Amino acid sequence: MAENNKPRDPETAPILPSGGDYFGVHFILRLFLVALAVTSLVVMVTAKETKLVPVPTMPNFRVRAKAKFTDTPAFIYLVATMSVTALYGIITAVVSLGLNSKPGSATKALLYFVFWDVLLLGIVAAATGASGGVGYVGLKGNSHARWGKICDNFGKYCRHFGASIALSLVASIVLVILIMLSACTIHRRIPK
Amino acid sequence: MNNMEAQQKASAFDVMNGTESQGAINRSWRKGDLFLRGLALILTLSGAIVLGVNKQTKLVPVKILDSLPALNVPAEAKWHYLSAFVYFVVTNAIACSYAALSMLLSLSGKKGFVPIIMIIDLLMVALLFSSNGASTAIGVMGYEGNSHVRWNKVCDVFDKFCNQTAVAVALSLLGSTVFLLLVVLAALHLNKNSK
Repeated sequence: MAENNKPRDPETAPILPSGGDYFGVHFILRLFLVALAVTSLVVMVTAKETKLVPVPTMPNFRVRAKAKFTDTPAFIYLVATMSVTALYGIITAVVSLGLNSKPGSATKALLYFVFWDVLLLGIVAAATGASGGVGYVGLKGNSHARWGKICDNFGKYCRHFGASIALSLVASIVLVILIMLSACTIHRRIPK
Repeated sequence: MNNMEAQQKASAFDVMNGTESQGAINRSWRKGDLFLRGLALILTLSGAIVLGVNKQTKLVPVKILDSLPALNVPAEAKWHYLSAFVYFVVTNAIACSYAALSMLLSLSGKKGFVPIIMIIDLLMVALLFSSNGASTAIGVMGYEGNSHVRWNKVCDVFDKFCNQTAVAVALSLLGSTVFLLLVVLAALHLNKNSK
């Protein structure tokens, strides 16, 4: 507690080098998060394919089949999550840019960042897992449950949702890095 | 936090009192941390076990020819038939063993472990949430089926299997929420100690 009596300006405190908040890095990472989320969103929404597929009971007869992302609830969940992530990323990028201009006494803001980032990380990871699980069944099929694979017919559709899932995986990794950055910044402020 | 600032301006005697209350906060935080880690251990372990022993055999009527009566064929549903469930069991086992390890590390009381533990907690949150998402998506597919890609529902036949899966996912979801709380509490604790 004796350390509390020392001056705690970011310029003078020895544990806090100037610019120790890393809000500039926050801003760049959050913009990257927005870019990832928007790309994932666009790639998933444009995953549409119409193809002639053979009917299982009549091999010579083909029907027009359409594949869209709304066919699977997991993909709808991913689209919703990515929209939320993009919006959240824009808001927090603006906030961190504002905090960057006035250094010092921003530990509380970092704490709020950790709260909301962890919550969003849970949601994004769950969406990635859900879409990945369903996408894997679509790619490989499951003989035990008699779920046939669809990627042999709908190649473009599969490439689209695969790319979208990969992008959302990168988005969750970016969120993990952001939380680590905030936590380490708070941790470095503990007086030795 | 206001309390702390008020004490900062007070006399040396009060400052010493502040040190004591800080120690009390640290102790109660450590107790709560240990309790939550124990809770996470139990929840993820039970989630892994409940899904890991999941198995159901049922007689399913299969019609080979229209003229013959339906033949009863035993059909089996096991947890490792679906890769999402394998992922679920593996991540829950990892989280459960990590919870035990982190209990030991935080009992050892070294300050240097705190940021490492928090970072691995964070990775556990990501892993557990993704496996929960995968299992829930496959479980919903089992309950509802998907008419667009002709994936039929299987839960009308394997009712016990599906309910046991739902219980395992619910347990693991609680466990991952506990890990999320651990990260948030660690950040709060760091924030209390800083400034």
